[in-house]
Amino acid sequence: MKEITAIIRRDKLPETKKALEELGYPSLTIQSVDGRGKQKGAMCAEMDSEMPESFCTSAKLKPTPSTYALEHTLPKVALYVPKRLLTIIVPDDVVTKLVKSMISVNRTGKHGDGKIFVSPIENALRVRTGEQNGEAIA
Amino acid sequence: MKMIRAFIRPEKEQEVVLALEGAGFPSVTKMPVFGRGKQKGLQVGPVHYDELPKTLLMIVVDDDDEKKVIDLIQAKAKTGFIGDGKIFVSPVDNAYTVRTGETGL
Repeated sequence: MKEITAIIRRDKLPETKKALEELGYPSLTIQSVDGRGKQKGAMCAEMDSEMPESFCTSAKLKPTPSTYALEHTLPKVALYVPKRLLTIIVPDDVVTKLVKSMISVNRTGKHGDGKIFVSPIENALRVRTGEQNGEAIA
Repeated sequence: MKMIRAFIRPEKEQEVVLALEGAGFPSVTKMPVFGRGKQKGLQVGPVHYDELPKTLLMIVVDDDDEKKVIDLIQAKAKTGFIGDGKIFVSPVDNAYTVRTGETGL
């Protein structure tokens, strides 16, 4: 079993869910997270894929009150971009297929498309029936 | 690669993240969480707080950088009092960048 942790744009969530559903793996966990990558959260392109350019410039010029307050107590403030974190537990043999499909759905070509991590899972247990491992995620 | 999950005090988050950025690890995912530890929460007079707010930082690094990042988080998040948090490390097989489809960090 593998755990696929995908950090994607907020507005790509419905499409990603649909793509996973079509491949037969509809179960997933979604979390709202804030993240930053190599661009250190400062790039406007990291937000939603359809964000108008005017929003970027105005958002940069006018910091929110909380950011403004932090800037005056700290020498520098770490910026974040809102993202959605998906967690999917799947059998080993479909990992490549799912990752490829998620990449094709989420790719816009701009910075901030996100990252996908694949890590091993040792055991799974369905609480209702007590089934273990592969049966629990089938 | 390793995934480092650090549960730290929310007020230490900026300090830790800026220190990581300075050391060349700008990429971080954070989320607010509630939890409790060995002390089963916090007792302040008659009031008992069962779950305390923490910030969860998630960082994926190469195997060689694991110790460096953990040491850095520990140094910055430490106050010496109960409730400083925990750091967990788990293996990651693969990482993909969605924009380019490349593997690796």
